[in-house]
Amino acid sequence: MNTTVTERDLATLGRSRPRRRWREGPWGYLAPMVVALSLVSVYPVLYSIFMSFHDWNWGHRFNFVGFANFAELLTDPNFWADLFRTIYFTVGAVTVELVLGLVLALSVARIGRASRVVSTILLIPMMVSGIIVSVIWKIMLDPTLGVIPWFLRSLHLPTSAFLGDVRWAMPSIVGIDTWWQTAFVFIVLLAGVQSLPTDPFEAAEVDGASAWQKFRYLTLPLLRPFIFTVALFRTVDCLKVFAIIFGTTGGGPVRATEAMQVLTYRTAFKELQMSKAMAIMVLFSGFILVVVAVFLRVSGRFQNDGR
Amino acid sequence: MGGSRVERRRRGTSLYVAWVVVGAAILATLFPVYWLFTISTKTARDAFATPPAFVYRPVFGAYREIWQAAGFGRAFVNSIVVVALGVALALVLAVPASYALTRFRTRLKRPLAVWLLLAYMLPEFLFVIPMYVLYQQFHLYDTTIGLAIMYQVFGVPLAVWMLQAFFEEVPRELGEAAEIDGCSHMQALVRVYLPVIAPGLAATAILLAIYMWNELTMALSLTFERAKTVTVAVAGFRGYAAIKWDQMAAASIVAIAPMVVFAAIVQRHIVKGLTLGAVK
Repeated sequence: MNTTVTERDLATLGRSRPRRRWREGPWGYLAPMVVALSLVSVYPVLYSIFMSFHDWNWGHRFNFVGFANFAELLTDPNFWADLFRTIYFTVGAVTVELVLGLVLALSVARIGRASRVVSTILLIPMMVSGIIVSVIWKIMLDPTLGVIPWFLRSLHLPTSAFLGDVRWAMPSIVGIDTWWQTAFVFIVLLAGVQSLPTDPFEAAEVDGASAWQKFRYLTLPLLRPFIFTVALFRTVDCLKVFAIIFGTTGGGPVRATEAMQVLTYRTAFKELQMSKAMAIMVLFSGFILVVVAVFLRVSGRFQNDGR
Repeated sequence: MGGSRVERRRRGTSLYVAWVVVGAAILATLFPVYWLFTISTKTARDAFATPPAFVYRPVFGAYREIWQAAGFGRAFVNSIVVVALGVALALVLAVPASYALTRFRTRLKRPLAVWLLLAYMLPEFLFVIPMYVLYQQFHLYDTTIGLAIMYQVFGVPLAVWMLQAFFEEVPRELGEAAEIDGCSHMQALVRVYLPVIAPGLAATAILLAIYMWNELTMALSLTFERAKTVTVAVAGFRGYAAIKWDQMAAASIVAIAPMVVFAAIVQRHIVKGLTLGAVK
């Protein structure tokens, strides 16, 4: 009796080992996430790539057209113009946000005790939805309702229709994004500034280094990893810009602010050219991947130089 | 002596400059929000006054009107439902996954990290347009659950990044001790790890809630009327022939308020989550 039990025990032990490993290994914990992410990210990408080689505008049938969608886009000057608008916006916004964010981080770190309260206030714009940011700035910049045009007029400075002016619309969007997202740059760089070691600064002090020298030769190099990360996140986010343009200009006037995702929205949901819209997204995603790869390569090289 | 006085004066100057910069930043941050609030409480005559009326008699009619007009009340409820579903789903998926990624040595770690990064970084419409087509066929279009599922494309990566950081802070010995006492990995997660990281879990949930509450692009594409969210409703005010500025501003204030309060309460954790997520 006893022996049979032991035998069965041994048998089940041997058999249950793989199952035990499954249950105790990482797979059981990762599987739900992998399944869900496959549905919302892998499936759409595969479908987009498949459909971008077809011609489909909501009908019952679609035909294989090879590279026709891509060829149409790549030979369309408007597509290239929209790509350059997106890059123009991204370079402008990321540059301004990095400079302001760094200045803010250094200033807030300098004031010491009150920095917690100040950070809470400065983070407010980040907690506001992009569409509401558009409402705020439509009101601020409105030629009749807005405070900013009134302020400029009362100082006898030239003013403009801002969001309604072909030349000023994109700089206005850059300004709006700056108000919205500089807090992100600021908060990450503040964490960086607060983590800086004090020794090198004390040594520089003893050697009589000027404030500028300390900033140029200590602060900036030591902050480099933080700056690179925050620049990467902001760059990708800016390339994807949608809400603040949709809510203010809708891409106008005369396509002056039509960033890539705004073009995609119009193509898919207004013109109902679904396969063309997917082709735009496939091309643009490729572009983003290249940008990310270049970023990582450059930041890796810089970090190696630093050592 | 003289040198140190110069030094002290220089330090005093830099503190002064720092306060001027911070003061200007606070003013630039708060004034537009304050102005939005004034527009929401102004009559049309006060709103369009030149020079702008800095002193006026506030009226709160717009706050009453938005709940009747344009399905804003329903949108508000929809947003709460979408956020609740979306946050719950993200945590259910991300808690076990980030636990496994910190506790097990696995070759999957790197490929999964790249996958999460790509899901988070690639443009929304790459994912949304095919899902729009799929949702039409499976009757998930214009439903709160459909939108909550779609939100996982950014919700899961964000949650995993934050939770991984919180799990890593738990001393290894704690989990190992529990397992020596006969706990399985799952029991160690539920009985030992989750209570320890509870504040981090709350912070993750709140950050996810803020992102999902504020999301526009996906909500605009995947909802229409029954499931439209607050952000889509605010966007809707834009479309009318004559814009009702006061209502649009009031709706915006109502949509911002809960998130700003949330963020202020858990500010420290949010800062940690944002910086960890960004620096990783």
